[in-house]
Amino acid sequence: MSIGIAPPATVLAPSRSVRGDSLWHDAWRRLRRNRAAVVAGWFLLLVALVSIAAPWIPGLADPAAQNLPLGATAPSAAHWFGTDDLGRDIFARVIFGGRISLLVGLVGTLVSIVIGVSYGAISGFRGGKWDLAMMRVVDILDSLPYIFLVILLLVFFSRSLIMLFIALGLVQWLTMARIVRGQVLSLKNQTFIEAARALGASDGAIIFRHLVPNTLGPVIVYTTLTVPAVILQEAFLSFLGLGVQPPAASWGTLVSDGARVIALFPWLVIFPGVALSLTLLCFNFLGDGLRDALDPQERKEGA
Amino acid sequence: MFTYIVRRVLLIVPTLWVIATLTFFMMRLAPGGPFRAERDIPPAAMEQLRHKYGLDRPLGEQYGRFLVHAVTLDFGVSYKYPGRTVREIIFEAFPVSAELGGWALLLAVLAGVPIGVLAAVKRNTGADYSAMGVALAGVSIPNFVLGPALVLGLSLTIFLLPPALWHGPASRVLPVLTLSATYLAYIARLTRAGMLEVLRQDYIRTARAKGLSERVVVFKHALRLGFLPVVSFLGPAAARIVMGSIVVESIFAVPGLGRYLVNAAFNRDYTLVLGTVLFYALFLIVLNLLVDVAYAVLDPRVELG
Amino acid sequence: MHRSRLSALPRAHRASATLVACAALIACAVLALSCASRHPDARTAAETALHARYFGSTTPPKDNVFRFNNGAEPETYDPGIAVGQPDGRAARILFEGLTIPDPQTLEPRPAQASRWELSADGLTYTFHLRPGLQWSDGAPLTANDFLWSWMRVLRPSNAGRYASLMYPIDHAEEYNKGHADSSSVGLSAPDDTTFIVRLASPTPYFVFLTQFYTFCPTPRFAIEQYGDQWTRPGKIVSNGAYVLSEWRQQDRFVFTKNPRYWDAANVKLDRIEAYSVDDLNTSVNLYKSGAIAWTTSGYIPSTFIPYLRDFKDYQHGAYQGTYFYSINVTRKPLDNVWVRRALNWSIDRVSITRDLLKRSREPWGDFCPSGYPGYTPPPQIGFDPVKAREYLAKGGYPGGKGFPKISIMFNSSEDHKRLAEAIQQMWKRYLNIDIELSNQEWGSFLQATTAVQYDIARRSWIGDYLDPTTFLGCMMTGDGNNRAHYSNPRYDHLLHQAARELVPEKRLAMLSEAEKILLDDSPVLPVYQYSVNDLVKPYVHGIWPTALDTHPLAHVYIDREWEQHLAPVAGMAPVARVTPGPSARLAAIAGRFPIEETP
Repeated sequence: MSIGIAPPATVLAPSRSVRGDSLWHDAWRRLRRNRAAVVAGWFLLLVALVSIAAPWIPGLADPAAQNLPLGATAPSAAHWFGTDDLGRDIFARVIFGGRISLLVGLVGTLVSIVIGVSYGAISGFRGGKWDLAMMRVVDILDSLPYIFLVILLLVFFSRSLIMLFIALGLVQWLTMARIVRGQVLSLKNQTFIEAARALGASDGAIIFRHLVPNTLGPVIVYTTLTVPAVILQEAFLSFLGLGVQPPAASWGTLVSDGARVIALFPWLVIFPGVALSLTLLCFNFLGDGLRDALDPQERKEGA
Repeated sequence: MFTYIVRRVLLIVPTLWVIATLTFFMMRLAPGGPFRAERDIPPAAMEQLRHKYGLDRPLGEQYGRFLVHAVTLDFGVSYKYPGRTVREIIFEAFPVSAELGGWALLLAVLAGVPIGVLAAVKRNTGADYSAMGVALAGVSIPNFVLGPALVLGLSLTIFLLPPALWHGPASRVLPVLTLSATYLAYIARLTRAGMLEVLRQDYIRTARAKGLSERVVVFKHALRLGFLPVVSFLGPAAARIVMGSIVVESIFAVPGLGRYLVNAAFNRDYTLVLGTVLFYALFLIVLNLLVDVAYAVLDPRVELG
Repeated sequence: MHRSRLSALPRAHRASATLVACAALIACAVLALSCASRHPDARTAAETALHARYFGSTTPPKDNVFRFNNGAEPETYDPGIAVGQPDGRAARILFEGLTIPDPQTLEPRPAQASRWELSADGLTYTFHLRPGLQWSDGAPLTANDFLWSWMRVLRPSNAGRYASLMYPIDHAEEYNKGHADSSSVGLSAPDDTTFIVRLASPTPYFVFLTQFYTFCPTPRFAIEQYGDQWTRPGKIVSNGAYVLSEWRQQDRFVFTKNPRYWDAANVKLDRIEAYSVDDLNTSVNLYKSGAIAWTTSGYIPSTFIPYLRDFKDYQHGAYQGTYFYSINVTRKPLDNVWVRRALNWSIDRVSITRDLLKRSREPWGDFCPSGYPGYTPPPQIGFDPVKAREYLAKGGYPGGKGFPKISIMFNSSEDHKRLAEAIQQMWKRYLNIDIELSNQEWGSFLQATTAVQYDIARRSWIGDYLDPTTFLGCMMTGDGNNRAHYSNPRYDHLLHQAARELVPEKRLAMLSEAEKILLDDSPVLPVYQYSVNDLVKPYVHGIWPTALDTHPLAHVYIDREWEQHLAPVAGMAPVARVTPGPSARLAAIAGRFPIEETP
């Protein structure tokens, strides 16, 4: 109902110049201002690019090419990172190792996301007895010692790369499910869900088209923190001999093989180790930055 | 609170039952059996062995017998090491893992919390960056790299500490250091984050306004709540540090339970695997319960159940 | 629930923290690099040149205790059931049989038996035990103990894996397999100090078998009283130079001197401590820091060998075992003999042993290892890529075209992995075929090889006694250890004939011909012959490299004035590293002796 008196333009001007900020826009801005996260992001991008382009980099030695008489040699002009005791060039192996490690990390995380998000969303949405039962299952699985599960999985089925992905992803999904469930629980009673229901949307649609996209914040954050965890787990499995199979070698394989002979050939562990550690560091930084960027509390502080 | 604890305790039994069943069938279905060897065993001898351990009975019957015995905590004899019962192996190896893990966690908390508090209080200064920098490095260096590096530096170049084994106080140092590194880093970060969050709360401002010294503010008021993230991390961490120290136990030849579990899985030592897994599960469940209760005690805002 | 935030680094200064973290990382790296880039045996200039020629600390322990790494935890050290080197070593410290091997030449020496005679037809041995032998608890040890113990090994219900060593005894095999009664076995103990063994056929190496731990006496009363628990400290009763005073699984054994041992006056150590460290690097680290005085063979990573070769405490010698790849001859394309020959002739064994294994092993192209007295082995498989390619073409895959993907299976271990990678590369390079690798953990690996579910698998075999049949017998049709499904009637026939042949030269000639057939058929691809590589501290006396890696420890002692006693002591001069060839040494020995298997 109009009052009949228009407010003066000077009063209205400031409010017109304020633009609404969506969550994403806001977050992106904050993230950009976080220098460490930005640097980390660029570094990861560089690593990813190099890994993808690895087979086509000119002048890069074949990581599997052996030179037995050469044996292990310290870094030199011909071999920037030295050679291992089969005469293989460590620089090439580190680059290709990154390929495998990142692949393992990303796919393992993907598996855990797909399973975890669906499970958590369904459990949170259904609520009641369903929720109780499903979370009980999660608690039980959490109680199993991880390494034992993985050994059995890798032993029972074949030792292929696929199996490794599944094994790694299967352990990480538990926390993802919990996080998503928590989010869904707090979201599901909000009005926009009621509205969707009133409009006749099916349960499936509500879960996957409305709820899940709104949980993306924590999911993304957790993803960037899961990838390094998966890479580390794979390194641990390599230490036990259950990781990727030769001649493929991930950073984990290189590091655990090299750590054994650190007394004699320290370069075998230092270079892959630094590569691994730096990458993990960057993932952690990026994840922390994303978490801060998406944190509503930070928003409130007028960041 | 009491009903909550009772409910959780009652849930332990079905949980363990599910774990036992899962583990039992997974082990049985995995290829390879406990008596394979590089040198052939004549079929007659193999039959004798299988009969002795009841492996020739139908699977269901084996499962039933296993459950009945498990209730009395009798997991039978280890297949790989005849003459040793599983229970005695666990009770011999577990204290070693517990000691290793205990020292490591103690070190992680005793060193990590002050570092985190310092970093939070001296935010944005040199102390803060160095503390967090070292913490981040600790999280990113796997312990099977740190261990050999420490051995190389402190044991082989200068003969200061023994490089392995678990005999005498000097031999505890390197394994404990290696194992605690990651946890120290996490705890330092968690403490710092928790403290920062708490320190900007209103009631802290009130305490300061009342004229209390900074030290009282930090240690008496802030730390109680700032410590909470560490508490919720400690539960799973305590369980994992005891079992997940496989790497440290391998590198330093420590006779702990982690090494046993892994070797048992590889050797298809059914009884040892089952006993160890159930033991671990029970331990973890109890620890989680303790942590939840401690959480409720520390933070009056939390309501259990 | 209270939300926790895992980080709250001030945004503007996260970059600084990154820098500090990276600096910390790089500092660690530089530190490690600088520590190790010095000579591994870095010492201050003040150290004498003498000590610098040894690897690691050379200070003898303060107490009269000999410490060593026994390797993987023994499954059991009950001598009647034990199998494997670590089990055997522990069993030998505790128990003693009719004879023991000389620590240097491995000749059988009188032990529990003071003398023995062989009947004219070569079928009956009469052993005379020393008078007054005792168990460690004071009970008398008689010939009946030997009788009971040997029968226990042969009893089918015992499932002793080394019962087959006793098969030369009359009717032992039939009894063990359940076809005969215990009374028909050719063992008897007419009185307390006489033990008579009747053989099925003349067996020249029988006396050497008697020093093997399977042939040691076991205490009947303790076993009957305690059952499976009889080997525990406090319950165990033994007759060797030491008794078991402490045992912590996966950790260590402690043996103390046995005052009731018949030769206790000559046992100079107070205690022996044996550790169960299965990690090779840890083992070497322990040796270097002086925590142990002996690293047993097989517990030094081959990458270390070139660096250790120049140290005076490194010992090296040939070992009665070969490493080979076993082929499942029922799978395509491996059922084609030309394909197998191609694979065999394209392995550059010299390069593998020289470059990959750093000369820690001998390249070997025969199935049986060297050193069988009187045996002329057939010509070895060599390395000839041209011939190999011809064979492959004859097999139907010229230039490697169309060769199906097969895999090499091995159990998880650094050395197996590296060797498989090297051979994979060789076949790619010389034959142009792509092979996959399959790294299995031990349980699955055993399952697959026993059930013959593989294409090519890595295997080793260590002989039990010094005769080619210990190797050749494995490849007979239907033998339990024939994990290749190999079957050649001519081969079987030759071996059967040889078993009945009494003239040694003819017999060995038949065996040689059989081995020739085997090599020609190539169900196995030999790679190298094993060697023993030990590290022994200079202050330890009594350990020499032996072809069977057997080291009786009864007379080992620690010499605190070792610097003064250097040159003439055998086994310590640099010459010891170039031990006389196995055949020369073994030819000097009057007979043969058994060896155990190490996976």
